[in-house]
Amino acid sequence: MSVSPSTVVNELQIKPRSLARNFSLRALIHGLTLVVVSYLVVVPLFMLLYASVKSTEDKLPFESTVTSLGNYAAIFTSPSMLPIFLDTFLFTAGSLAVGLPVAIGLAWLLERTAIPGRAWIANAILVPMTIPSLLSAIAWIQLLDPRAGLVNVVLRNVFRVTSDNGPFDIYSLYGMCFVQGLRLVPSAYLMIAASFRAMDPSLEEQSAMAGRGIAQTTFRITLPIMRPALLAALIYFIIVVIESFDIPGLLGFTARIRVLSTAIYWATHSEVGLPDYGLASALGAIVLAAALLLMWIYQRLTAHQEKFATITGKGYRPRQISLGVWSGPATAFCLCYIFVAVLLPFVMLLWTSVQPFYAVPSVDSLSRVSFEGYLNIWRDRSVVRAMWNTTVLALVTSLATILLAVLVSWFVVRRQRTGNGLANYLATVSFLPQCVPSIVIGLAFIFVYVRFPIPIYGTLWIIALALTTRYLAFSSRATTSALMQVHGELEEASQMSGAPWVKTLRRITMPLLAPAMINVFLWVAVHAMQELSIAIMLYNPDTVVVSTMIWSMWQNGRTADAAVLGVILIFLSALLLLSAQAYSYFRGRPKSQT
Amino acid sequence: MIRVENLQKTFAGARGEVHALRGVSFEIDKGQLFTLLGPSGCGKTTTLRCIAGLEQPLAGEISVHERVVFSSASGVFIAPEQRRIGMVFQSYAIWPHMTVAQNVAYPLPSGLSRSEISMRVESIINRLGLGGLADRLAPNLSGGQQQRVALARALVAEPQVLLLDEPLSNLDAKLREQMRFELKALHESLNITTVYVTHDQEEALALSDRIGLMDQGALIEVGAPMELYTRPAHRVTADFLGSANFLPATVERGGNQPWDEILVTSTLGKFTAKRSPEWQPGMAAVLFFRPENVELLNGGDVSASEPNHGSALVERATFLGNSADVMLRRGEIILRVRAHPTRVPRVGERVGFSVAPESCIVFPA
Repeated sequence: MSVSPSTVVNELQIKPRSLARNFSLRALIHGLTLVVVSYLVVVPLFMLLYASVKSTEDKLPFESTVTSLGNYAAIFTSPSMLPIFLDTFLFTAGSLAVGLPVAIGLAWLLERTAIPGRAWIANAILVPMTIPSLLSAIAWIQLLDPRAGLVNVVLRNVFRVTSDNGPFDIYSLYGMCFVQGLRLVPSAYLMIAASFRAMDPSLEEQSAMAGRGIAQTTFRITLPIMRPALLAALIYFIIVVIESFDIPGLLGFTARIRVLSTAIYWATHSEVGLPDYGLASALGAIVLAAALLLMWIYQRLTAHQEKFATITGKGYRPRQISLGVWSGPATAFCLCYIFVAVLLPFVMLLWTSVQPFYAVPSVDSLSRVSFEGYLNIWRDRSVVRAMWNTTVLALVTSLATILLAVLVSWFVVRRQRTGNGLANYLATVSFLPQCVPSIVIGLAFIFVYVRFPIPIYGTLWIIALALTTRYLAFSSRATTSALMQVHGELEEASQMSGAPWVKTLRRITMPLLAPAMINVFLWVAVHAMQELSIAIMLYNPDTVVVSTMIWSMWQNGRTADAAVLGVILIFLSALLLLSAQAYSYFRGRPKSQT
Repeated sequence: MIRVENLQKTFAGARGEVHALRGVSFEIDKGQLFTLLGPSGCGKTTTLRCIAGLEQPLAGEISVHERVVFSSASGVFIAPEQRRIGMVFQSYAIWPHMTVAQNVAYPLPSGLSRSEISMRVESIINRLGLGGLADRLAPNLSGGQQQRVALARALVAEPQVLLLDEPLSNLDAKLREQMRFELKALHESLNITTVYVTHDQEEALALSDRIGLMDQGALIEVGAPMELYTRPAHRVTADFLGSANFLPATVERGGNQPWDEILVTSTLGKFTAKRSPEWQPGMAAVLFFRPENVELLNGGDVSASEPNHGSALVERATFLGNSADVMLRRGEIILRVRAHPTRVPRVGERVGFSVAPESCIVFPA
């Protein structure tokens, strides 16, 4: 066949140079993503394990040349360690015993019954999510301090008790479980309500048709079907409590109760003597192993759960049980929760922030209300620095996280281009930080950067990197599920239109992922702003952030300043979360992404 | 023209490798509309995606208009975005965040002036009957409109080759028929080399210059629609295109020239058939003829000894409006017959039938 003139023209328009460039660019970015994710996740964990088998008497782990299991042996033989494990167990069990029944009750009431004011209650339940746990702990100290706590003072006055102590003591295991348990309710409610919603209501209706009442249906049908979901939630929140640092750190310090997470912190921030990195890393490795095991069980449970009769995507509304005479008590239960978990701590915090020194609310102290604290606090140079650092940290972390998350999910979801093996590796490694407690990530990052010749130890960047690692799991999960909604042919159509990979990513993939990306961005920003346990392991006076500032203000007895800064932090978080809400509201109905 | 040579492709499946393409070869002349037809999973879409460059074959060679775009022997793989091929996807893949005009303008080279872009977009939009929809967002379009946008986007950069992946499968029956005619007219006016993938035989027969029938990763046979339908060379083709009667038979008198008359015996009697050389007496065969080529005879008076005649009991008769679907039974053998709607026999009646020798084909058993 002869070559027609038009063919010749077409041949000339093709630039062979750009061909090679496009291909290597995608491969290059793929390679970079793999390296960065491995570096952020695998290297720190390896260093942690390495440090845990180094004998460290008076030395940094890497100066030691002896490899031994001495650190582990010390943990399991030392009599001072046993209470730590015991208290961790009791703290976890107690917090779940407080939090989960409340969350299940609320989820059942709001999803399955015709309780009045549903939307209002459902929103109020979620409000505590804007309050960092550190500030919850501070608020509850103000309320339940055995001597000066507001609730205790009021109770003593009402019952005319002459003692100046009690009846409640927040500095106890019970106090810690109570505060931590309340903290779990919003996220546990979200998770459990989602499983209620995912359940096919015809399964319950079938039971009703078979002549069973509400109680029989609930206990013989609803709860057994929900069992895998509830068990998964239980496992998930065990990990959350084990990881929790703020509440046991603040309350347990005075109560002299240590759990694993705070033991790791105090091992490296000892008031007397040198930091014991060997002990800390061995404890970290133990917590890590426990969390990995629990996460494995969780994954098995949730994989199984999908096989269970759950249906999503149908526009049905389950039949709502009418509460009858129980309507009153049910509403009272919800209002009581909102009063205790939402209103009381927040108002207490506000009150503390407008008092020059802490005082029980009275006519006398009401006259001393002043907002000067909100002005004076800026005179403290380190507060200004903390504010600035927090802003930079939140911005850098959320930008880095979302960029990495999008790349990871692209290479995971569009795996036919790059092969299964690498995609599975990327998916697994990027999810791994989900089971690494924050305090362990902070510790591991110390080891990496003390050792590695990248001079960012003691800078804000090391905190940003550690936070990026922490939030990579959640973010890449979110962008992965968003990308799976984007039909692969949308990108292929761009390729067939002559667009190179980067143009396709920029003009097609990213715009279609924009809603998910903005939500993830704001989520990470809020969490980075409030995060304490990683920052506290890695900060120094130059890189102080708002959360560590509040922590040290509290430790130094600057209660009112801590409250002022806390209220500012809560308002900023609420502002960001509201803008996320407003964004999804004004976006309106999501467009179909065929 | 497009030349595909010995294309091999494997996928990693749940249980080891799946051989998706087993040495597929064909040629398409310039300006032809070539259809890859076959059941789902036969490899037709994979072949199309290999031509597009969206899949990289394991081995073989593909050239498009004298340019080698893939060759395992010389290590050539041209990226899809460099192949200048227009493609319409099964899902249409209209970008939901862009308007119709933005979708259509996307493939145009970046060097063009603004006025030239809008001119070319407008011209192709009008040509496909999308005038007035230029500023509409994709999700606000009907299925048929989305299909036209996908076509406009595939054609706007004036590609050398157009690939269509089941383009009509997401439309309802009436619209599908209308678009079939429009596609045919569009192809005739543009005369662009087109590869069309479908599992719908009617579509393939109506649209194609030539059809390649695929099954289990292999190209069974290639031919013009009429040729494939009336003179299939393979049993798979006969089975997939239209409906078919297959009867086990034994060769009585063979032949050694193509389209020689041969004689076979089946449970329904002796048949004279045409087809293929190298039939020896005594060989096992399968006799094939189509339901519409069976003629029902008046009354049951049939001399069974006469070749190509037989009789059977009416098992079922279904009136279909413009025809009747009659099922005949003789022992274990079931025959399907397409009868004239005014001449539907009664169930249980014994009827005679005949099939013309030129409608009978013999395949190897």
